[in-house]
Amino acid sequence: MTHPATHRSPVHGTPVHRSPVHRSPVRSALAAAALLGLSAAAMAAPPAPEAAYTAMSAEELADYLVFEAGGFDLDAKTQDGGTARERMTQDRTQKVCSAIARSGTDLDRATAAKISALADDTIEFPEDGVALGDWQRGEEIARSGFGYRIGHRVDNHDERTPGGNCYACHQLDPNEIAYGTVGPSLTGYGRLRGTSEAMLKHTYQILYNPNLFFPCTTMPRFGHHGTLTQQQIADVMAYLLDPESPVNQEPPQTADAESADTD
Amino acid sequence: MYKTITTAATLAALLTTAAIADELRAPEDVLQGLIDDNESAYLTQSEQNIMMMPDNAALWTAEEGKDLFFEERGPNNKSLETCDLGKGPGVVDGVYVELPRFFEDTGRVMDLESRLAYCMTSIQGFSPEDPEVKRRHGSDSDMMKLQTYIANRSSGLPWNPPMDHPLEQAMRDAGEVLFYRRAGTSDFSCATCHTNTGKRIRASVLPNINEPHEWTKAISWPAYRVGHQQVRSSNHRIRGCYWQMRQPQSIPGSDAAIALMSFWTDAARGEPAILPDKKR
Repeated sequence: MTHPATHRSPVHGTPVHRSPVHRSPVRSALAAAALLGLSAAAMAAPPAPEAAYTAMSAEELADYLVFEAGGFDLDAKTQDGGTARERMTQDRTQKVCSAIARSGTDLDRATAAKISALADDTIEFPEDGVALGDWQRGEEIARSGFGYRIGHRVDNHDERTPGGNCYACHQLDPNEIAYGTVGPSLTGYGRLRGTSEAMLKHTYQILYNPNLFFPCTTMPRFGHHGTLTQQQIADVMAYLLDPESPVNQEPPQTADAESADTD
Repeated sequence: MYKTITTAATLAALLTTAAIADELRAPEDVLQGLIDDNESAYLTQSEQNIMMMPDNAALWTAEEGKDLFFEERGPNNKSLETCDLGKGPGVVDGVYVELPRFFEDTGRVMDLESRLAYCMTSIQGFSPEDPEVKRRHGSDSDMMKLQTYIANRSSGLPWNPPMDHPLEQAMRDAGEVLFYRRAGTSDFSCATCHTNTGKRIRASVLPNINEPHEWTKAISWPAYRVGHQQVRSSNHRIRGCYWQMRQPQSIPGSDAAIALMSFWTDAARGEPAILPDKKR
C-alpha cells in the first residue's frame, strides 16, 4: 500500500518562523467579510486560502484552524467560569506531549524529566495531610463520567457533581465487567500495595498529576485541572486503598482457580 | 434519469461511472472480507450488528437520498444532477472515497457535507439558513439522506483521497496535528483513544488509526447507530468525540473539521469502505 501523504510535501517544507504577513490574505478577507456584515453561514465559501495555508507549517495551520478559522464554538462558557477558547489553549505539558505522540518516537529521558518536574512544581497537598476519604463516595466518582462536557449538551454541575470516570480506562472492582483497558488494571490496588503513608502520598500525586511518575501519560491531571477536588481525590484514594473497598476483595472464584487449589 | 448529455466530458464521466458501478460491493460483504483477512477485536465486537447489516435501516435512508438527489426543488427548481462532487457534474459513483478534495470553483478543500451545502445553495438556490441545508443530523434530514445515498455508491471501493494539490496536503498535515493535539480539562486528544489495538473504553473496543483494516470501519460514515436509532455522519462523530474530550463544539464545514477528515481518510487509504455501516 502506497502512503504518499506520510511524506512532507515540499510545498510547505519546514517554515518554522513565519511573519504574520503570510497569514494576512485570509485575515483581511475575514475582516472585510465581517465589515460587510456577512453572517458565518453566508461565508460558507470565503476566498481561496491556498497562499495563506501553504505558507504555514502544519502546526501553525492547525492552530489557525482552531482559533481563527471558525473550527470550534470558542466563545461558549464553560463550567469552570471560563470560555471554550481557554479549553483549546494548550499548556506546556500538553504541547510537548502532543508533539512527541505525533512523532511516534519514545520520550527521551531529558524531556521526561522536565515534564515530571513541571508536574512536581504544581502539586498541592491538603493542609491536614494526605488521608483516605470515603470509599463509597469514591466508587460513585470512579463510575461517573459526568462533568465538564460542553458544546451541544452542557453538563450542569449544579444538578450533579462531576465524576472522575476511572472505569472508562481502568479495571477496579473485580466484579464489574464493563471496565476499560486503556489504562492498567487497578484491581487489588490496596491489597497489593498496603496503606503506608508513602503509598498514600504516591497515590495522591498520581491522581493530582500523573505526569510526575508517568511523563506524557494519557491519564488526565485531575488535581492540576481542578476537575476533582482534594476531597474527591481522597475519596477515590479510599476506593483504591481501603481494605473494605470492593477493589480490594478477593476476585470471584473460577473453576480454573479451584482446580489450581486441589492440584 | 440523466436528462441530457451535452458534452464529451460528461459522456466520459458516465462511462467511468459504469465501470465503477461493477466494483461496488454490499457493505456486509466488505466487512466480512475484512474480518476474514484480519484478527481484530474491534471489527468483530458486535455479532448482532454484523448479522443485521443486510437489514441496515441506513439503506432506506440511502434510497430516500437517491430520490432527493434527482428531485427538482429549491427556489431554482433544479435537481443535483449538475453538482460536481469531484468527478464531474452529476457523477455519484466512487466520489465519496475520494473526498475531501480540492475544488477549483471554490478554491477550497471540501468534504461531502460542505460540498453538498455548496451545491444546494449555488445550484438549487437554497439559503444556508433553510432547513434543507441547515439541518445536519438525524435520518430524516435531507443532508443525511443525500450523504448516505452518495456514500453508498462508494461501498467496497478503496479510500483514495487525492493529495496532488498543495492545499490537500496542507489540510491533511494540519489534520494530523489536530488528531494528536491534547487540550482541555482532561488532556485528551483523538490519539488518546485511537492509537492502540484491542483496547476498550468501558465495554467498547476502540479502533486504531494505525491499523488501516480497523480504521476503514471507524471512518465508514454515514452509519446507522443502534444506540441512537439514527443514521449519523462524520461530522456527528467528530462532534461527539470533542464533547467527550471536554473540548469545544466542532463546527461542520469548517476547515478544522475538513482537515481532520483529510487526515483520517488518508489513514485508511487503500482499504475498502463499508457504506453505509452499522455501529453500536
